[in-house]
Order: sequence, then C-alpha cells, then structure tokens
Amino acid sequence: MGIHRVGEQRGTPILEENRVSRVDTENYRERIWTELAKVARPDSRFHWDFSSFICDFEGSEECSDRVLQMDALTKRGDRRVFITPDNCLEDLRYKLISRGVSFVMTTYGIVRGFYELDSSKIPASDHRYAATLDGFDRYAKPVSLDQLRKGSPFSLLVTGGSAVSSNGVRFGKGHGYFDFEWAILSELGLTDKSSVVVDVVHDCQFVNEVMPAERHDVAVDWVVTPTRSIHIDQTTRQRGQVYWEMVPGTEFERLDVVAELRALTKENQT
Amino acid sequence: MPPELTQVGTESDHDVAHPLVGPLTFCRYSYRRIWSKVPDVDARREKAGDQPLYSRVRHELTDMVLRRALDDTSPLPPEPRLMEIFAVSRGTLRRAIDDLVREGLLSAEQGRGTFVNQEERLRRVVWERLKHVAIPDSRFDRDLREFVPDFFGSEEATRRVMSLEEWTSASRVFCAPDNSVERLRYEALSAGKNVLVPTYGLRRGFIHLNGSVLSRSDLRHAASLDGMELYGVVLGPGDLRRFGNVDLIVTGATAATSDGRHIGGGQRYLALEWAMLERLGLVSTAVPVVALVHECQLVEEVVEADHDCLIDFIATNSRVIHVWGSTGSASNEAPRSLRRIV
Repeated sequence: MGIHRVGEQRGTPILEENRVSRVDTENYRERIWTELAKVARPDSRFHWDFSSFICDFEGSEECSDRVLQMDALTKRGDRRVFITPDNCLEDLRYKLISRGVSFVMTTYGIVRGFYELDSSKIPASDHRYAATLDGFDRYAKPVSLDQLRKGSPFSLLVTGGSAVSSNGVRFGKGHGYFDFEWAILSELGLTDKSSVVVDVVHDCQFVNEVMPAERHDVAVDWVVTPTRSIHIDQTTRQRGQVYWEMVPGTEFERLDVVAELRALTKENQT
Repeated sequence: MPPELTQVGTESDHDVAHPLVGPLTFCRYSYRRIWSKVPDVDARREKAGDQPLYSRVRHELTDMVLRRALDDTSPLPPEPRLMEIFAVSRGTLRRAIDDLVREGLLSAEQGRGTFVNQEERLRRVVWERLKHVAIPDSRFDRDLREFVPDFFGSEEATRRVMSLEEWTSASRVFCAPDNSVERLRYEALSAGKNVLVPTYGLRRGFIHLNGSVLSRSDLRHAASLDGMELYGVVLGPGDLRRFGNVDLIVTGATAATSDGRHIGGGQRYLALEWAMLERLGLVSTAVPVVALVHECQLVEEVVEADHDCLIDFIATNSRVIHVWGSTGSASNEAPRSLRRIV
C-alpha cells in the first residue's frame, strides 16, 4: 500500500524466508476480506464494499479502550491527536469527545482537507453523532495547512487499515491516505520521533509475516486489535515526506491540500 | 413524439424490476454509477489544451444542451451541421455523442435525430444552481449524482414543515434517507413519532425507528444515516406491513415544479418505495407528500418527465407552497396518481 502510480507495478518482490512479496498481497487481501466480512459492520452508503471504506468491526470498542490507556494520549501534554475518518475509529472518536479531548481529522478521501474538532463545544446529546462522519461535518471546523502548522506537534496518530504485517507495514486495497496524511503533517514539521502511530484492526487483519516497506509507507508503532496491543520497534523509521514525483497520475494530484502544500513548501525554499 | 428515456446504454449495472408491472420483488439497486460526474467537476479536473478533442466537443455539446430553454424539446441540429459548428470529423462528433448518450443526457436515433433527455437536462441545470447552496456529503462531497444534498436554509424549511397540521397529526412518517431530511427525521423522533427510513440505495432494506422509545441522547445519532441502524428494526419488503399505515411522506428532491412534480436523482427510489407501500396497503393517494427543497430547485417550466409521487406541500428556505390544498377532500382537481414507470 502507499501511493501508487496508476498502472505501476507495486514495489519489487522480495522473496526470502518468512518475507512476503507484494505479489502475495492480493492473496492475503482475499482471505482477510472473507474473514472480515464475518465481523464487519456495513457503511451507511458503501454497504460492504471494503475497497471504498475502512470498516468498523465487532470488538472495535475494545480497541478504543486500549488506545485510551496509551501514554501517547494520557501524557501528551499540549501536543495534539490526529485520527482518520475510518469507521473502526468511530467509537474511539466518541470516547475522545466525551472526555473532552479535541483532535484533528481529515475528511473522507482528504477531499476537503483537514478539520479540527473542539470537543468542549459539543453538547452531551450530540457526542455519538459528532463521532460519525455525518455529524463530524456539522461540528468540526476546516483548518488550513498554514493554520495547522502553527499548532503543536502530534503526539498520537491513529488510523485503521485493510491489513498490517508483523513489522507494522500496512497493506491491502487501501489508497494510501494515511501515508499521505503523515507525509503532509511531517512536511509541516508536526511529527517527530516521539509521535506514536497506532493502527486499529481486527485480529484477522493482522498478518504475522514481515512485509517490505516502500519509502512512502509509514510503519506503525502499535497494532491494536480487540484482543491485544502489539508494540513494534520503529526506531529506523524515516522522517515523513511527500515524494512529489509520485503524485502526478494519482488521486492525490487534484486535492486542494496538495496545491496548498506545494505553495507552502515553495515559500520555505525562497 | 420523442421516446421517454429510462436506462440508456448497455453498461448499467442497475437491475431493475418494477413492482408496478410485475410481482413485488426486492429490487437490487446498486449505488455504483457508470455515468461520469457532473460536467463542471470534469471541467475543473481537465486542464484546457490537455483534453482530447472529443472530450472538448462533449463539453461544448453539453453546454449547448444546457443553455437551451427548458421547454425546448426539439432535436439537436443534424450531424453534418454539428460537425460544422464544432469543426470536427464525424468520428469525433459520434464519440462525443456516445459519451452523452451513456450519461443519459442524449438519445441518438438512427434516421430520427439526436434528442435531449429533458429530465436529465433539468437535473443538470438544477445541480449547477444547487452547487452554491448545497452542503457537501461526508463521503460524496459535491457529487450530486450520488446523493440528495442538505442545503443552506434547510432549518427554515424544516420549521415550515413542522408548522403544518399534516405534520402535527402524523404519528407514522415515511422519511427519505436524503441529507436535507435529516433534521426532520430528528424532529419526528423527538416528537415520539414512528419513522420509516429506507437505507441508502435500499441496500439493507428499511429501518423502523420508534421515537417514543429512544432516549434523548440518542436522537441525533438515530436521525443520521450513519447511526439509524443501531436504533431501529430492519424491515425487508416482506415485513413492511409491520410498520403500519403511513400518515405522511417526507422527501428531498433534485428539483420540484410548483405544480407538485418531484424530480429525484434518476433512480426512481421514491416511486419504487411508494409503489411497495401502496401494494401493501400502507399508503394511498390520500397520504400527503411533503418535499423539502431550496428555492433554486424550483422549476416553473413544464418538463416532460417520468416523475415520481406528486407533492402536496413544497417547503423551501423561504415559503411553503400548498400544491393541492387540503388532501382527502373531494375536489374538482384530478386525483393524484402515480404515472406508470416505463
């Protein structure tokens, strides 16, 4: 997973013992989706089309509770929380809102960029609603990249995904949105070595094999499932950045945030 | 007389069985669309000079069609004339026309001419106006082909509906899953009414929500598409009778005429839903229909179209239009009926 040019081959297959090639990811995806279908909750619009959304699943509430215990959240100080609009994180968003924890989230497909939700402004009767994609739009405020970079760095970044390997590489029929969000936030100077990346998935989405990471893949620090939290040593993770030469021909090319980021980074260079 | 257009092209994956002409079956509507997105979105994405020629002809032809008066039902100029106007070969012109036929905007008949699908043109014209006042969907953004939008001023429209006697006295309300109707679904539940909502694209049947048993802190969530399935009972077409008789129908629309015709998104969901309920004896033409639209969605011109239910009340951001007056009373006006779907 990651940013792929339309039609381009997905990475170089590396065949070693216990290593999974990119070519195998298709097989994994089929098997995972078959298992996932047994525990997944449909999306209001996309139904069971897993290629259009990251689904919620039975046990996601247990995942939320684990994330709420993490130091990256409880000891974040004035540093911020980023969360993706994946359905499996709706319960976590609800719990953050009811605890008065504000967060930054992207809109579906990053189409309208980044939004900020001030949890203290939401009446208790609307907490669950504000955690949904429909409700989020009513309460959150859009935030430009320029405004974003003036705030504090991110202590915790939480995403869902299609599948994840034992070395924390996410793969499957994703579009690479989180990788791109991480890249943007990194370019804005909002991520550092103490930023913790958490992937929330069902147990059937965790593959106990090592997967090669492409340079734009963000390897996660934690995989949180309903039954366990797996910590992965990511001391070798590179600083995030946008690989501009990879953007043309992808769905990212037309996003307003991309134009905005280009303008901002040009500014920095002059 | 130009043939009425329903599904155009062979690539549709809509498997439609119309209950009016056959036994009642559960119709599988796919939410997938094979038509491209509304033209100005394409225009934004294609850089001038980078487009293939037929694509530019397609845009210009679309503009030509949309700029016509809405009541102009004459065919387009013949092919040789169009080739002259756009200064292109027959092949390029045909390719552009084929695209627009696939999109449902045109119909090309050998020997008879190229005709405009009036209903689709009306939708495009209204979508252009709507873009200024529509609220983006959480997933579909401003792709109005995929959803019926909420709009600036829907709060006022909602309040106007709530002031109607037909609203106050209704205890069982059918509400479309349109974004513009979300506030009203909330108000219905808040007032303890029973609400029947089809799931988006009818993919998971109908949801029966009982406002009188929900706790206040769940109402907003239950009124949303994302939340409602957690609080209601799923009813397949065979179980719909359990809901009971419908007192009021509330819907959004793509467009509405002041004489009460409803133009939806093109998939005929409302007509289908109404037909299902009518078959089961849960609605009749005596049940009032309320539509919520923005003023810009009102169309005065008579448009030859396969419209759905006839509307009794149109509530906009600035007024309520009573189309039929008090329902159920014997009057000189023709009884409201549903046109047969071809």
